[in-house]
Amino acid sequence: MRALLLFAAVLPLAAQQPAPSPVPSSESWLSGYFEAGYRGLTGAGGSSDTYRSVVNLGSGVKLTGTDFTILDPNKRYFERLRVRAEGWGDDPWSAFHLFVEKRGIYKILADVRRLSYFNNLPSYADPTLTRGIALDQQSFDTRRRFGSYDLELFNNHRVSPYLIYERDASTGRGVTVFQTNADDFAVPDTLRDSTDLYRGGAHITGARYHLTLEVGGTTFKNDQNTYTSTTLAPNPGNNLNPVFGQTLGLASLSQAYGIRGDGVFSRATVTETPFSCLDIYGHFLYSEPRSNLNYRQFNTGNFILQSQILFYNSEQYLISAAAKLPHTTGNAGLEIRPLHGIRILESWTTDRLHNAGSAAQNDTFFSSTLSAALATNYNQMETSIIASATRTLTLRGGYRYVWGDAHDAVLAPAGLPSAAAEKLRRNAGLGAATWRPGAKLSFTAELEAGSSTGAYFRTSLYNYTKLRGISRYQLLNTLRLSADYNVLSNRNPNAGSAYQFLSHQETLALDWNPKGDRITFDGSYSHCSYHSEISYLVPQILASALSIYRENCHTISGYMNGTFRNMRLVAGGSAVLTSGSRPTTYYQPTAKFSMPLTKHTGLFAAWSYYGLGETFYGYESFRAHLITAGLRYSR
Amino acid sequence: MHSTKSGAAILLLLLWGAAANAAPPAGEKKFGEEYAGSQTCQTCHEDIWNNYQKSAHTFVETDARGGWKDHGCESCHGAGAKHAGSASAEDIRNPKKLLAQQTDKICLNCHLNTTRHSERIQSSHMKDGVSCVACHSIHANGPVGLVPRAPAQVNALCTGCHQSVKAQFAKPFRHKVPENQMTCVDCHNPHGSVRQPMAQTFAANEPGCFKCHGDKRGPFTFEHAPVRYEGCPTCHEAHGSTNPRMLNRHEVRLTCLECHSNLPALSASSVSNGNSSAGSVPPAFHDLRSPRYQNCTVCHQKIHGSYADRNLLR
Repeated sequence: MRALLLFAAVLPLAAQQPAPSPVPSSESWLSGYFEAGYRGLTGAGGSSDTYRSVVNLGSGVKLTGTDFTILDPNKRYFERLRVRAEGWGDDPWSAFHLFVEKRGIYKILADVRRLSYFNNLPSYADPTLTRGIALDQQSFDTRRRFGSYDLELFNNHRVSPYLIYERDASTGRGVTVFQTNADDFAVPDTLRDSTDLYRGGAHITGARYHLTLEVGGTTFKNDQNTYTSTTLAPNPGNNLNPVFGQTLGLASLSQAYGIRGDGVFSRATVTETPFSCLDIYGHFLYSEPRSNLNYRQFNTGNFILQSQILFYNSEQYLISAAAKLPHTTGNAGLEIRPLHGIRILESWTTDRLHNAGSAAQNDTFFSSTLSAALATNYNQMETSIIASATRTLTLRGGYRYVWGDAHDAVLAPAGLPSAAAEKLRRNAGLGAATWRPGAKLSFTAELEAGSSTGAYFRTSLYNYTKLRGISRYQLLNTLRLSADYNVLSNRNPNAGSAYQFLSHQETLALDWNPKGDRITFDGSYSHCSYHSEISYLVPQILASALSIYRENCHTISGYMNGTFRNMRLVAGGSAVLTSGSRPTTYYQPTAKFSMPLTKHTGLFAAWSYYGLGETFYGYESFRAHLITAGLRYSR
Repeated sequence: MHSTKSGAAILLLLLWGAAANAAPPAGEKKFGEEYAGSQTCQTCHEDIWNNYQKSAHTFVETDARGGWKDHGCESCHGAGAKHAGSASAEDIRNPKKLLAQQTDKICLNCHLNTTRHSERIQSSHMKDGVSCVACHSIHANGPVGLVPRAPAQVNALCTGCHQSVKAQFAKPFRHKVPENQMTCVDCHNPHGSVRQPMAQTFAANEPGCFKCHGDKRGPFTFEHAPVRYEGCPTCHEAHGSTNPRMLNRHEVRLTCLECHSNLPALSASSVSNGNSSAGSVPPAFHDLRSPRYQNCTVCHQKIHGSYADRNLLR
């Protein structure tokens, strides 16, 4: 009804002729469109929490989209200005993008996005919910905002400086867990974090070399706060069973994380072509983020310290901590073209990350100091030879060696230290072929087979094979087919791991335009399969068990785009059907109809449906219809 | 000592290259009779010419520094006088019909030694023969750049080849790419990157994920090793998953148990051989029959790393 009223209100406006253009339309200074309307949600059937976690589109008046470009024929202040915006008007995602340029003088890019992040999906961690056991789980209802502002001066000159500012901030509320020795309690919390990044540098370009130098810094703050207090019965938490005859409970909690961080980083990139047959390049990147924590916690209720069978009614906990993470990356390589049709690529990479942290903890019962260290040194060397065997066939072969080491340790002046050290050693052979017998057909296949003598995790790549193929064929002038195929097979045969993983995905797609641009159709079918098996010891009995994950999925998508007498219909959607460890169906059909009202204005109406079905976690299923109608102005 | 020699050799090459810049500037290029000039091209290819006038490449036509003033068309298509006489497609170079490396070579005539070039030499697009014109439409797009900039068009361009990735994004738990609130290039640099798979970076060399997920960046006093060793894909399927929170297992406890398997590291000698695995020890004795212990992240809530607690509890 509201949509109809809106239509009635805006139709007379839309029927008016737009103001005449100040310049002939063939050389219009302004081009683009503006589209706004009303969207109605019929109501999410099923789990509204899951609907909000996955789709989250709501009702209301929306700026569905605008994208316009202004060209200044006099090029006085700018040559071109482009503005793009989507999803404004209480949509969960909205964006604003600005591009302004005066060639050789300046270029400005601004990108602003807002994202409402709602997440309340207990099934991923709470598989017992269907048995009526509802445990706490972390959920969020936050708004995140991103901004990136980029100014480049004297672009296309020999020296081109630039400045960039980026901001990422989030505020909102959620539910988190307050964890104590024998119980854990769901508590509401407020979330607020932000990261600001500043960087500046210059591109220096010569006839045979290029150099980019950049320095920057970041600041970070995170203020997560929890406050809860009850004068009624205490929150019993997840442990409902009495402990040594007493029931545990939380009466009040005040918890505050005061996290502050900053960091510097720098980057240097160089390329050079000393000879026509040789390109060399190098990157040096360094960053050093740091953080500080001042944590305060005060809680009352009935708690237990199990190691001493000591009940207590209040606790104060203070933590002061700091961490620093110097991270260096170096990368260099060259491309040699010794003969016509032969290219040799050689590259070396090192990535070295060393974290050091320390925490001083002062509890009602204990005080301690811990220091932690984590380091990983990753190195890679790769050689490839690319040869144009014939005019239509290009072959590539190569070798990659990856090696590294890592360690993770927590050291306490008193108490048990823990430490782990791992090594990474991997050899991989690379092969690829690209065959393009004509403009109508292309085929690319890539094979990578690796063998390891060490890996960081039980599920890491160990003895593996990756195969990928992509082909495209223009069967008719109006019909193009494409297919791709991906396989990953990975096995870790070491005792204690016995890991087997196999995934493959096959996709067939077609683009059909039987009537030129008037009718087009694109559709695809994809099948995927994942199978993973790995053993572990069940903690309470240390008996061997298998973790098995299976997924078999079918995805169909198709969109028809038709234009009939200036009216346009876009209809289609996608459907996902999976079986295995988490059988799921997800349907997203959609249709949009638009028609012109005047030369520059038009009407549009759209319908979309979202339906998620879960076999094992039926309480998380939902379905929803969305109907949108509005006006479009374009020129 | 070896690295010092290597460094000296690289420095020498750089210096040699810089010295080689003393070559005559490209702006002094002389055009012979085999060149027709862009005005001649415009006569027959008016539509292309009009688009070209709006494109970022117009300055090739007007700026003498590039060396192709008044010969912008021929900067890519080669000398055109013969083609102008015969009107035969055989007599003109069409970059779209050349081998990828030949097409790239034309583009690199001008774009050699730019930021894009340094990225390109290490990109898998280049290695697989995906030429510049596979994405950059030299005549058609404009007026801002030679590639689409609107999110829907960017994503359509990428998924035109990466069809399987498009299918992964049809799954319910995903980044908002099908909604066009994100684009592929928010996470990937199509020209190449020091991080695989052609991933964007944040603050020089950190994973691009932290650009939006700043609260997961740290540095944490107590790190969770997979975040630093192998990154977010250790546990998450970034393109899309049927598992909530884009996890690669249907329940979080299995994601955890596959590494925290309670299986001890083999031996000290096996560590030196590199056969140990992170996270497998010390063994935990939680009773998984209790629902409370099936839900690891209820207690270990700071799973990406903790500023305060070594067991990631707060």
